[in-house]
Amino acid sequence: MAEKFDNLEEHLEKFVENIRQLGIIVSDFQPSSQTGLNQKLNFMISGLQDIEKCRQQLHDINVPLEVFEYIDQGRNPQLYTKECLERALAKNEQVKGKIDTLTKFKSLLISELGKVFPEEMAKYKAIHGEDPPS
Amino acid sequence: MTEIFSLYGQQDSQGPAGPSALGFGSGKPQVPQNMGPMCFQHQMVDEGGPIRKPAAMNEPFYLLRELPLENELTGHTNLITHYNLEHAYNKFCGKKVKEKLSNFLPELPGMIDSPGIQDNSSLRSLIEKPPVCNNSFSPLTGAMLTGFRLHTGPLPEQYRLMHIQPPKKKNKHKHKHLRPQDPLPPETPSDSDHKKKKKKKDDDPDRKKKKKDKKKKKNRHSPDHPGMTGAQPSGSSLR
Repeated sequence: MAEKFDNLEEHLEKFVENIRQLGIIVSDFQPSSQTGLNQKLNFMISGLQDIEKCRQQLHDINVPLEVFEYIDQGRNPQLYTKECLERALAKNEQVKGKIDTLTKFKSLLISELGKVFPEEMAKYKAIHGEDPPS
Repeated sequence: MTEIFSLYGQQDSQGPAGPSALGFGSGKPQVPQNMGPMCFQHQMVDEGGPIRKPAAMNEPFYLLRELPLENELTGHTNLITHYNLEHAYNKFCGKKVKEKLSNFLPELPGMIDSPGIQDNSSLRSLIEKPPVCNNSFSPLTGAMLTGFRLHTGPLPEQYRLMHIQPPKKKNKHKHKHLRPQDPLPPETPSDSDHKKKKKKKDDDPDRKKKKKDKKKKKNRHSPDHPGMTGAQPSGSSLR
């Protein structure tokens, strides 16, 4: 799995480096640089071909759209992962709290109902079995 | 709740109540008195359609349903531990993650921390309006390359933005990058030798030590030096 990412990363790095060098040639162009420029342009096209070949290996990879929001704002996309984990943990704790509270409520309710309606609660326990201790 | 239990008691003594009393709708046939409430309810289900689950209908409690199947995975368990994400959690939430995009991609040239909307280079625009292009990439022919003949000289100032790099922090441990150097004009052999000689001259550590020693000697032999008694210089100076 990591190999296909490494492959894509390598091609992207080469492509970016090629573009950077192209920019340097163009920034102060000399007639003797024409051959180099043409070479860089063709390297750019071959780089795009290589990147497109990598696409087949990564067709099952899904990227959440919210990550693009972070990148467009110039923010680190790892912050998105961090916030996802923090939100998941917070929600997990919230739901755990609800489950614990409702479990306590159920056991309290059953004990109080057992005091007020002992016969009916005995029938209820016979149907549903004994509740596990909370 | 006592009212619900007593309702069944009334049915036994007074006979089956009308449908409206039990809330099952109209047009239900009368059941003989000797039949218990369980059969009466069963007949109601047959004619009126299943109002509730048959299992619940057979129980003595009103609206008592079966308990739902217990799901093994609920919010009660620590889902981060369950899905083996502790390492990821410690990595992203334990340490401070830097804010800027350039901290994530330090090798990427140009000003990448600026918002993409400013220079119309956002990924969002690329997704919403993908560029129209052919399916394949073909290399440029000679005729096509004639379109890339450029004028000599530097770029106009308005197009020079890509070379502005954000100020990089100086690392204590300088890593040698594998990136090839920027293309520089070729040096002449004489110039390179002269520069090398000059550089070598300056960087020689022995020469630096000699310079320091000379300075020390000057300071000792100067009339302003406090410890000056005309003694000869010590043999500890290195040459």
